[in-house]
Order: sequence, then structure tokens, then C-alpha cells
Amino acid sequence: MLASIARGTVREIESMDRLRQISYVIIPAYNEAAVIGAVVGAVLADGWRVVVVDDGSRDDTARAARRGGATVLRHIVNLGQGAALQTGIDFALRRGAERIVTFDADGQHSVEDIGAMVAALDDADVALGSRSLGRVVGATWQRRVFLRFATVVSNGMSGMTLTDAHCGLRAFRADVAPRLRMTQDRMAHASELLALIRRSKSRVIEVPVTVRYTDYSRQKGQSGFQAIRILFDQVFRR
Amino acid sequence: MIIRVVLLCALAAIGYLGFVRRNRLPFHIVLVFAILAVAGLAVLFPERTDVVANWMGVGVGADLIGYLVQVCLLFVALHYYTKFVDLQREITQVVREVTILRAEMEALREAQAAGARSDELR
Repeated sequence: MLASIARGTVREIESMDRLRQISYVIIPAYNEAAVIGAVVGAVLADGWRVVVVDDGSRDDTARAARRGGATVLRHIVNLGQGAALQTGIDFALRRGAERIVTFDADGQHSVEDIGAMVAALDDADVALGSRSLGRVVGATWQRRVFLRFATVVSNGMSGMTLTDAHCGLRAFRADVAPRLRMTQDRMAHASELLALIRRSKSRVIEVPVTVRYTDYSRQKGQSGFQAIRILFDQVFRR
Repeated sequence: MIIRVVLLCALAAIGYLGFVRRNRLPFHIVLVFAILAVAGLAVLFPERTDVVANWMGVGVGADLIGYLVQVCLLFVALHYYTKFVDLQREITQVVREVTILRAEMEALREAQAAGARSDELR
């Protein structure tokens, strides 16, 4: 009995080690020098390969990420989060990645969730992190209401029935990546991605994740007014 | 009638600067010269614009020209907005390629330096 449990555990560890070897964690970062080193360190310590895409930051983001041990790509001009993500994805694909994870640079995601996201791709093409299914720590009530509202609007626009609109923690298989190629450079890439997922008929799974809002992440996060700009980009910049 | 001379000179300047000096497609040149010709006629024979306006259901020729200018300006704005978005996508593509190539070059340089170091140790 104990031996079979031990065998199961060993198999699980081996399988996770294999996933770590074929996966790349992409972290787009813009002016995140204060936190990027710690975020990179945590992801690397968990055994994942990390690619930070510095989106033309004016601070020491690139140096801090490199010091933290990540592979760093640097946009010579600021293009936007969508463009940075796609650059990281292209790089990972050229390096032979089989699974790709997107992870926010501000430290709001939990490293422990990466394994579950990547493992979920055994039965799906795309795994989307869900704050509603998981846990949200440190969010104000306004932020919670905004997230609910954004989810309803996003579902209405994408025609999908997700429990979370735009969680930055996502994972997808390399073979579907060409069909999920984002052209929205800025924040509208999140809505664009959902539309691409639907159009490509990719199999989607939602994975519960924990998101921790800190003063730093709240300050860096999207305001309600920025949502109007995102909507504009989504409608007009097709 | 100084205004007529000024307007005609302005139209001629647009035609010369925008489309004769630059190498454009014949269709564009013909279209722009047609528009410039109609505009020139409107300057030379302003009373005739009333006839065209009445025929099109507009009271005064000046109103008709005003409406057409509005539509043309909107068209131009849309045209250049589309061009702007296309250009931005191309810039993104160029920046992306430069970014990845730089990273690959750095990796190569580091690998070469590591190789040289291990050769020295041997």
C-alpha cells in the first residue's frame, strides 16, 4: 500500500519535472524593477524556465530580471503588454517550447499555480486562470465589483461562458499558439485572445488560481477608465 | 476675384506637391486630378454649383460643397487611421524581430565566451 502511494508520488514528481523541461513562463514587464527580481526568483526556484520581456522600460527592469536569473528580451521601444507577450511566445516557440505560460510581473500570481495550469493542458489546448474559482486576496470591494462586471461584458463580447474575464495567468500548448497569434499590442490583447480561442475552437479549461493584490499591484493595475480605452482598441483596432 | 486665384493656386499646389512630384499609381493621379478639376470649376463658376445642388436636393451650392468636404475629411481620417494601425503592426513586427535576434546573439556570445574559458582551462 505504502509502496504504491510512493510509486504514485514519484511518478507525479517525474511528470512535473518533464513539464518543467518543456514549458516556458513568459513574464511581460514594464517599469517593474522594484519587484521583478523577486518574481523571477520565485518562479525559477520552483524549477520553471523564465523569459522576461522588458517592454522598453525606463527603469532597471531588464537588469533586475537578468540578475534574478531570467532570460531577458528587451523591446527597444514601449509597445504594450500584448506585444510583449507575443514576443515572448515567439521566442519560446523558436526555443522549442511545448507549453507556454503567461505570468504577470507585479507579483500578484502564485508560483504554486503554474504547475496546475501546465498540467491542465494534458486535457485541453488552453488553460485560463480563474480568480472566481480560486481565491482573491487583498481586493477592494470596488475591484471585486469591477471584475464581476468585466466578466459579464467579456462573456457577452466573446460568446464564452467563463468565470473570470482577464486573468493574466494563462497556459496553452505550442501547437495552438499559431492560431492564437495576438495583434493587439496593448491591453485589448486579453479580449482578442478570447476571440481567437473561440474562433480556433480550442479546448479550454479554467483552473482555480490565487491572486494577491498588494498596494504595488493595485497601483500598477488597470483602472475603470483604462477599460474604456481597451474597449475602443478592441472595437476599432481590429 | 482674388479668392478665385488663391483657391485655384492652392488646388494646383496640392496637385503638384502631392501627386505629380511623387510617384503614385495612375488611378490615384486620375482620381485626384478629377477632384481638383471639379473643385476648380466650382471656383470658376460658383453659381453653377447651385444648379448641381438643386439637382441633388440641396438648397445652396455652398452647402453641397460643405457636405462633400465633411465626407471627404472623414474618409481621409479613416484612411490614415487604417494606415497608422498597419504601420504600428509593422513596427511591432520589426521590434519583435530585433528583440529576439538580439537575445539570440547575446546567448551565442555567452556560449562562445564560455567555450573560450573552458579551452583556456584545458
